[in-house]
Amino acid sequence: MYRFFLSLRYLRARKTNWIGMAGIFVGVTALILILSIMSGFLNESRKHLRGNLSDVLVQPMLDYPIKGKGAPRRDVDALLEIVRSDPRVAASAPQMVWYGMISAENKEFYASDQERGGLAVANLVGIDVEAEFAATDLRESMLREPAPGTTTQRPADVDDPFAPPPGYQPRGFPAESIIVGERLGAAWGLQRGAEVEIVTATIDPESGRTRDPINQTFVVAGTFRSSHNSMDLERIYFDRRVLADWLGREDDAFSQVLVKLHDYEGDKRAITEDLGVKLHQAGFLHSPESPLFDEVKTWEAFRRTLLAAIENEKSLMGIMLSLVMIVAGFCVFAILSMMVSEKRRDIGILCALGGTPKGIMSLFLLIAFWEALIGASLGVVAGVWGALRIDSIERWLSAKLNFQIFDRKVYLFDHIPSVIQVTGVAWIVAGALVCTLAFAMIPAWRAAKLDPVEALRFE
Amino acid sequence: MVDSSTETNEQTAPSQEAPERVLAATGVRRSFKVGDRRLEILHGVDLELYRAERLCLMGSSGAGKTTLLNILGLLDRPTEGEVEVENVRVWQLGQAQRSRLRNAKIGFVFQFYHLLAELSALENALLPAMIAHSAATFRSKRAGYTNKALEMLTRFGLAERLTHRPGQLSGGEQQRVAIARALLLDPPILIADEPTGNLDRATGEKVLDLLFEEQETRGLSLLLVTHDERLAKRCERIVHMEDGLIQADSRTPIPH
Repeated sequence: MYRFFLSLRYLRARKTNWIGMAGIFVGVTALILILSIMSGFLNESRKHLRGNLSDVLVQPMLDYPIKGKGAPRRDVDALLEIVRSDPRVAASAPQMVWYGMISAENKEFYASDQERGGLAVANLVGIDVEAEFAATDLRESMLREPAPGTTTQRPADVDDPFAPPPGYQPRGFPAESIIVGERLGAAWGLQRGAEVEIVTATIDPESGRTRDPINQTFVVAGTFRSSHNSMDLERIYFDRRVLADWLGREDDAFSQVLVKLHDYEGDKRAITEDLGVKLHQAGFLHSPESPLFDEVKTWEAFRRTLLAAIENEKSLMGIMLSLVMIVAGFCVFAILSMMVSEKRRDIGILCALGGTPKGIMSLFLLIAFWEALIGASLGVVAGVWGALRIDSIERWLSAKLNFQIFDRKVYLFDHIPSVIQVTGVAWIVAGALVCTLAFAMIPAWRAAKLDPVEALRFE
Repeated sequence: MVDSSTETNEQTAPSQEAPERVLAATGVRRSFKVGDRRLEILHGVDLELYRAERLCLMGSSGAGKTTLLNILGLLDRPTEGEVEVENVRVWQLGQAQRSRLRNAKIGFVFQFYHLLAELSALENALLPAMIAHSAATFRSKRAGYTNKALEMLTRFGLAERLTHRPGQLSGGEQQRVAIARALLLDPPILIADEPTGNLDRATGEKVLDLLFEEQETRGLSLLLVTHDERLAKRCERIVHMEDGLIQADSRTPIPH
């Protein structure tokens, strides 16, 4: 009984204990804040990294014959039928992907050498609008409000994006429509209805040689805003048949098929394997056993290196931040050591009155435990509150200090992202408790080891 | 008075009934390591304390009184020899059992009172009960102990001082709280190490009156260490120590 009673009494009476508590409080608050904001950033980065990639990607290696079956089939409708027959698949969309260069008139200023030449690299993506809308966020990207300060416009009719823009005055033949990434459009001053010349080179499948460059004029039907930097800066959407026709391919030419799942986290493993086997049997893909051909993969596998970097960053952050806890632990250690020295006489008295060394040890551990518990609890409240309100806190602080703490333009975010992870918070609290108690063990053990005779002589 | 008798304990024990031995040291030696030499403070001490006896331990400083007292109070382990509390050999017990024995059987009164500064007078008096019981048991017995402590503190003239901290009490008051604390669990043995050594004469007298009164009414075995001859005269048995040995053990009727 005396342990509870005395630990609480010592805690209340000795103001130095509050410093330890404050240390733990600050540590826990900072950890939760930083973890939440970092998780928010990483989540955003993950989203950006994903861009308009679908859950699963099927990329047949069309140029290599399949063992025992000859050239891979190129019949995209048959392939889509197989993919869509799987009940786990929510939607799928074929894409044709190529690279080209854009050369626009009326460019007002040049930001780089490439631009001075009047050219910029563009990622040309041919899509089937309906399927693409079902499998990716493209429709949302087109509907999204343009970034403040830009003069670009979304397509007049988002559901028929490749219709000629209203009021389009062709200079020659009426050009086919394209949808341009918002930042590309803004950089090149591409208003809706503007004509753009796109240059590319194709490869002769027979000889494998590059053909002479070809160019064609297209009309901008609008822009999209995916918030994915490289996509908004480089990507141009075409109708897949228009792009195939221009590049001299058959109508059903495709480079990849995007697959959207009902339950990505639950099915991602099984479905990549199953699709690989099924499509191999149907003559579209190479054997999934062959390590050379990795033709069905999740978007995470596709962006593996960058995602790994993000995860790595997160764990590195965790390790570095746990140092904060160790500092708080040191704080408690110092305070408790001081207290044991100060309370030597009390320890002797407690021994004389029948306290056991074990009891005395737990008395001091309890003091540390209360400190950790109270400090961590307050820290959780403050940390979670701060993480939830970080955006307004930052705005308020920036206004007060007259200095922009978080520049939203740099990150392409309109708010500071923050995600409260319950398990993360639980780990932080557990870590604070364990760390404090571990550090408290040493002074508590010293107190238990004190010789009562020596302790009582202490005046 | 040393010359009055140097008989052994057995001979001086009351003969009319079998004396009940509550605390005993047999062949106790205690040595300390000083540098690489061993320094022996007690050279084989035999001392027995009987039920309801008032024993005064005297001797010059350095005679080994405090060392013996620590050993008899189970705070220190003899290098050699046995200590028995109510015929239980205490150093054959485990740590926890020994602590429990100390808690239940021995009350301490120290020269410097040794109250806990963070606790009120009442809480200090209740401390042995808190140590004796778990939180749950203490809660169920709290009222009983509190009443007992209140009764004692009131009797000791501290009714107005219950919520005061030791720092707000005078030396005499603090020592009375310490006596209440020592008596809370009704131990059969009370060990007092110069209980008036830090008090002025008048206050010391009052504290002693109170201590002796409690000793008599409760039939306590009191082991008292003092330098004060006048105090010794109020004890029925006086043991003199010199150079780590008992030199004299005399028994005289107490003049009331």
